[in-house]
Amino acid sequence: MSLVIEARDLRKIYHMGEEEVHALRGVSFKVVKQEFISIMGPSGSGKSTLLHILGCLDRPTSGELLIEGQNIQKATGNQLAEIRNRRIGFVFQNFNLLPKATALENVELPLIYAGVRRRERRERAKVVLERVGLADRMAHRPPELSGGQRQRVAIARAMVTEPTFILADEPTGALDSKTSAQIMELFAELNAEGNTILIITHDPTVAKQTKRIIHLLDGQIIKDTAGDGVSA
Amino acid sequence: MNLAETIRSAVWSLQSNKLRSFLSMLGIIIGVAAVVGIVSIGLGAQASVLDRVSALGSNLIMISPAPTLGRGASVSTDAREVFTVELAQYMEERAPSMKRVVPQVQTSGLLLYEGTNLRASMVGTTPAYKDVTNYEVRAGRFLHELDVDQSTPVMVLGSRAAERLFGEADPLGEQLTFVVGDRRYSFTVVGVMESKGQVFMGNYDSQVYVPLSFVMERILRTNTVSTLMAQAVSAAEAGAAVQQAEFLLASRLGTTDGFTITSQDEMLETMGEVAFTLQLMLGAIGGISLLVGGIGVMNIMLVSVSERTREIGTRKALGAKYRDLLLQFLVESLVLSTSGGALGLILGALIANAVSRFGDWPASIELPALAVAFGFSALVGLVAGVYPAMQAAKLDPVVALSYE
Repeated sequence: MSLVIEARDLRKIYHMGEEEVHALRGVSFKVVKQEFISIMGPSGSGKSTLLHILGCLDRPTSGELLIEGQNIQKATGNQLAEIRNRRIGFVFQNFNLLPKATALENVELPLIYAGVRRRERRERAKVVLERVGLADRMAHRPPELSGGQRQRVAIARAMVTEPTFILADEPTGALDSKTSAQIMELFAELNAEGNTILIITHDPTVAKQTKRIIHLLDGQIIKDTAGDGVSA
Repeated sequence: MNLAETIRSAVWSLQSNKLRSFLSMLGIIIGVAAVVGIVSIGLGAQASVLDRVSALGSNLIMISPAPTLGRGASVSTDAREVFTVELAQYMEERAPSMKRVVPQVQTSGLLLYEGTNLRASMVGTTPAYKDVTNYEVRAGRFLHELDVDQSTPVMVLGSRAAERLFGEADPLGEQLTFVVGDRRYSFTVVGVMESKGQVFMGNYDSQVYVPLSFVMERILRTNTVSTLMAQAVSAAEAGAAVQQAEFLLASRLGTTDGFTITSQDEMLETMGEVAFTLQLMLGAIGGISLLVGGIGVMNIMLVSVSERTREIGTRKALGAKYRDLLLQFLVESLVLSTSGGALGLILGALIANAVSRFGDWPASIELPALAVAFGFSALVGLVAGVYPAMQAAKLDPVVALSYE
């Protein structure tokens, strides 16, 4: 299996005035293609910091992160933007959709930054929106959609660039339990279709539905276990 | 992300906040409208004033005695005493740069014709008057040499005077009475002049013209005239003509005081300078409102950047580069200010048009002025947008995404 992510001894230190906060204290793990992983930990465990580093939004203080073999430590700001655009599909807790753009326009957004032409963009956005079950909601704007539908739009937006992996930050955090289950089901299906998915969560029931759970506490991995999702 | 996309998304983003976009454009709209309106009205007024000065005649030089200043008991020659018909002839002969020197006297009184009366200003002059002032006869004739030689009681009417006294009727051959104090003079109307319109000083149309000798001998009983109107041989010689007139008068009077010589060129120049200064001032006011408008745009862009911090973070996470966000906000600011500029152009042109319709001069809406005003609005947008756009582009995505 080809290596998607390789984290080697990631450390992150924040300076809060006089105090040094060690958010990550040497985190190492590997993710191969088509894995369905959750990174779980309580607040303050360093999972947000890890999310930012895995998402190439931030750099570790020390250690190395390789995405498909490319070391991001040395990448410039614009190169990181390119990596985020081509290789990472973000899904946020609060969806982060543009409220005044339609579902279709929202999904097209990353393709605009990738320089894809208008017509192709439209086609590709339609395909993924159909895939997440929103064929009849493409012209709706986020305020006209339910929470579950919004998150589906966001997932479609994450998939549309055909990224190396999807990185979801508490994707069910703003949803009720029934909708959460549907979204987790969608992730499982997408994983079965060949997508590599990482979910950052504090919620054990969410984590349980993935195939592998990395337990994070105080900036360190304390356990790396299999989830119930294996059978899915 | 290419420019067309960026512009489309900027327009879209501004449309989604219509009222706010319009309000922040308002400063630019007013600024550009002010510049365009003021400059157009100013240019129109300037052209109109210059027209009026030109309408006086061509290459004219006005020579007149200055108001006398008594200097103690030693009264030198009163300048007025040397302003005679003889002086006019003398200057015409001696000054090579002068083609004609036309003496004129003015008086005023009441014109009576049947039941109508009209207070009018009377000009006593010679036939050459018509030529130096480019004045055309509409009906009948102007004054003849013979009229002046024999002091014939004939009168030529300005178009407005004729209309006032006779209405639609033909005044030629009619008898008029001119009343000054308790004296009455009878005149025969021999001609009516074409309308000359409003002229720089006074209005030719409401005056009446009679032989110089008649006014001097019979009405005013004087041997001096009020003004000499000289015409230079050509525009190029106007300066020389002024100098020659000064020299000849000074040698007659023994002093350079006591008279004023104004050439039409000087008047044009002075008027041009005044108009230019006025325009410059008004243009500066317009410029200041543009500046204020620019500050408004910058303010709204800063607000927009801070309001959309999460959006900026999201865009960064989705792969927007520094350049993409810089361009996005810069283009937004440009679209805002140039839309304001375009609306301002229209508004300014409308104002200039309205003012010229109610006022008495044509507004001249000139392309360069429009281009400059519009260009300025774009510049304002660019300058006002740079700082907010940089703020947006350099936001840390982690901070921007967690912004509440």
